[in-house]
Amino acid sequence: MGLPYFGYAESTGELRALYDKMRERPMPPVYKPTHGGAPGIIQAHSLDPQLIPKVFTTSATLNGVGPLTWPERELVNTVTSRLNQCLY
Amino acid sequence: MVKDPRAPHGDLRMQSLGEIASLVTLEPWSLSRSHHAEWHTTGLSDDDILQGIVLSSYFGHLNRIADAVAVPLDYTVELMPPATDPTEPPLLPSPIAVTGRPALELSRRPATAQAIAAWRTYMFERDAPLTRRQRTVLARWVSMFLGDGGISTPADLTVNPIDSALRDLAEIVTLAPWKLSDESFAPLRKHGLDDAALFDAVAVASSAGFFSRITVALASLGRDRA
Repeated sequence: MGLPYFGYAESTGELRALYDKMRERPMPPVYKPTHGGAPGIIQAHSLDPQLIPKVFTTSATLNGVGPLTWPERELVNTVTSRLNQCLY
Repeated sequence: MVKDPRAPHGDLRMQSLGEIASLVTLEPWSLSRSHHAEWHTTGLSDDDILQGIVLSSYFGHLNRIADAVAVPLDYTVELMPPATDPTEPPLLPSPIAVTGRPALELSRRPATAQAIAAWRTYMFERDAPLTRRQRTVLARWVSMFLGDGGISTPADLTVNPIDSALRDLAEIVTLAPWKLSDESFAPLRKHGLDDAALFDAVAVASSAGFFSRITVALASLGRDRA
């Protein structure tokens, strides 16, 4: 169902390099995916690899810093996802 | 709070943040000067409010992309969210077109403003897979659904069957992303769009929603209640 996306094993070239770079980003352990690859939400953008740095550079300016605390940011993200009926 | 962000909760600051996420997600045009004042009384600063608005708008983009490709949750959570209900009715389109200066300037977060500007340029200033004109069609419909009165209306740009199919996809992405399915993409596939072009269409609509949601919410925050 839906559009396809590419996991680490299927990635090549620019996408593979991006996945490797994104995997090396500092990340709280709780966000690390159980499969060990790039997080699924990054893979979800894999049909347009050039979009990935645009989206996740923005994320770093919002999710990695305050003034809101980590629990407060999580609250905003969770309420948003719930109202959008999204598992993510 | 996740079950009902508008219900009373003990921590007023967290309750206000839940309300910000709720309003930004469901009806960004309904934010008002009185919300702004109320949130101050619960301990939120302007910088807190700005981050809440932009963060919720941003997460709305992630939700839409996740829905378009049906990516599974791949990290451990203590509380699993309820299953998606595909029969849930769509969000309501804005009844008004919001114009005016933002009550809070995005430039208060310079790194965020710079990152969003680069994202916007990438989204709208290229001609493949979608053309610039098709990007504009999508963005104008999205901005109309969200009440972004600073962007021209889309009707005069929606003149052929592909434009109409783009309009329909923009509506699902913006107002009912949980309904995205193969069926949503079928009309554009019939017009020859492949997976990369279809993802581009979703990404343009979702990104436009991110940009317009911020614009509408920040402008509405300086207006009296609609």
